[in-house]
Amino acid sequence: MSLEKARKRYIPMSETMFYILLSLKQERHGYAIMQQVKELTQGRIILGAGTVYSSLGKLEGDGLIASVREEGRRIIYTITQTGKEILHEEAERISELYNNARGSL
Amino acid sequence: MKNSKIVLFSAFRYLVPSDYENWLERMATEGWHINHFRQWNSIIMTFKRGEPKKYRFVYDPQVSPRKEYLATYEQFGWEYLGRMASAHFWRMEYEGERPEAFSDQESKEKRNKRTIAAVSVSFTIFLVTVLAVGIFLLFFTDSLSKTDRMQVIIAEAFFGVIMLALGSVMIFLRKNESH
Repeated sequence: MSLEKARKRYIPMSETMFYILLSLKQERHGYAIMQQVKELTQGRIILGAGTVYSSLGKLEGDGLIASVREEGRRIIYTITQTGKEILHEEAERISELYNNARGSL
Repeated sequence: MKNSKIVLFSAFRYLVPSDYENWLERMATEGWHINHFRQWNSIIMTFKRGEPKKYRFVYDPQVSPRKEYLATYEQFGWEYLGRMASAHFWRMEYEGERPEAFSDQESKEKRNKRTIAAVSVSFTIFLVTVLAVGIFLLFFTDSLSKTDRMQVIIAEAFFGVIMLALGSVMIFLRKNESH
């Protein structure tokens, strides 16, 4: 998927997608993603198996993440260049949101 | 005391996936268990009596899951129960907080959309059949005897009723898409 198309589809993105992408800055399989996101959000977000499975399928299909290897029946994923760019732009958008809110609240 | 309970057409009584999950959960708390799901369970399902258990069930339609599908759920602690058509079933025993396989609204709605897609495949098959038989009835039955013609009309009515039923199931599911 081209960067332009990925922007249209993923910005803005859900918290689930954001944290899955963020956690894949390191190679991880599905269950490890859930653990990492749980830790990052201090237990606020506990991703479900179905959510992780379908999100990984979508992100891989759109080229934001890629599978690196298999460990038994598990697949290890990592973020791609497109994924990194989208994640960066989304973080910028959220930080703009945050700064504007801070100024007026 | 009876040790098994037969339920007919369960999948047609609880059309919305979360309603179906809740019903299975209620059965388990009353001690009625089903440990394997098979193709025909939507029509006939046998529960066996056992200890009352607190299980969370998951109904997940996946037509052609990738090969990590089972491993992912299993690692999260879910027990695989099998499939009924394209719907895969999982359960997990729990205390306290109820586990969720779909942890955000978006993936819940996507699950419900996959259910609608599965029904719409059958709906389309019946729609095409009804149209084909309808065209046949209108234009090509002159050479048939009265009784043969009657049989075709009965078949058309039969397919038509199923098509309308599937159509209303789709409308109902679409209204409840966010559940």
